[in-house]
Amino acid sequence: MIGVGKAKQYANVLDKPLSRGRQEVSLSAFAFLFSELVQYNQTQVDNIAELERRLEDAGYAVGARVLELLCHREKGNRRETRLLGILSFIHSTVWKVLFGKVADSLEKGTEHEDEYMISEKELLVNRFISVPKDMGAFNCGAFVAGIVKGVLDNAGFPAVVTAHFVPIEGQQRPRTTILIKFAEEVKQVCFV
Amino acid sequence: MIVCVAVVGHQNNPLYLQSFTEADDALKLHHIVHCSLDVIDERVNNPKRSAPTLNETFLGLLYPTENYKVYGYLTNTKVKFIMVTTDLDVKDADARNFFRKFHAAYVDAVSNPFHVPGKKIASRSFGVRVSTIVKSFGSGTTG
Repeated sequence: MIGVGKAKQYANVLDKPLSRGRQEVSLSAFAFLFSELVQYNQTQVDNIAELERRLEDAGYAVGARVLELLCHREKGNRRETRLLGILSFIHSTVWKVLFGKVADSLEKGTEHEDEYMISEKELLVNRFISVPKDMGAFNCGAFVAGIVKGVLDNAGFPAVVTAHFVPIEGQQRPRTTILIKFAEEVKQVCFV
Repeated sequence: MIVCVAVVGHQNNPLYLQSFTEADDALKLHHIVHCSLDVIDERVNNPKRSAPTLNETFLGLLYPTENYKVYGYLTNTKVKFIMVTTDLDVKDADARNFFRKFHAAYVDAVSNPFHVPGKKIASRSFGVRVSTIVKSFGSGTTG
């Protein structure tokens, strides 16, 4: 296990090995940090699209690292080469490690061959955020979309990933859907 | 005795290269590592065996040269680890163990938020950990 048995002090806290930890992170600490991230980016950009792109880039870095870490910790010696394999890996393992539960559902898009959707009743990152009306369709889930994009890109399945609100009858807050659209080369390899 | 370890990114760009001999044939070792990349590409793109071994991360002995053996390991992000050794009888389990520890050190280095993916690994402690792992490989099974 990474980090077990190491008792020496590290000069730089960034060089400490990652331990499994207590599997719990304070939700309020994360919520404050995430809100600062969104606020900081808001002051730096002029329009919504740019803000979404920045959140996505932030998530991308997380996704790349999460993929390395989880493949080493959880998957042992197997690499994912199949599309469905990597998608179910994201849907269960990645979600479990990041948010403490598996994603609500993974669906295949009906209109296009290469579209998949991961749905969640309420994204953890959006729990304490309400988007003002004048920001239109902006969704802070762009951060999570960035994470998924980071995982897919680094596993060899380039894709365009976006987050959308889908209003559902009978519920006040809309569901969030992460839409994954795979790139051309993945289509050729996996979708014959 | 391991003489050289290397980490190569998914576009075959070198991320980390470390040789453990005092001799001045470091360049030759780098060249051997470079040639082994071709072997890896061949193995990955033309699987000669069926599904069970297709997704294996440990690639095994890539090719033996006159007095070196080259072992390869492929991670899920197409990052390759190459290990060049002069040992004549390397047990499979030893090599796998080595790569497992090396992968752990690599994951820790990459999780550093200041590490830019695709750039060389600049962490000193990664170098120290790799040296420790390499030293314990030579001493046999306890590792």
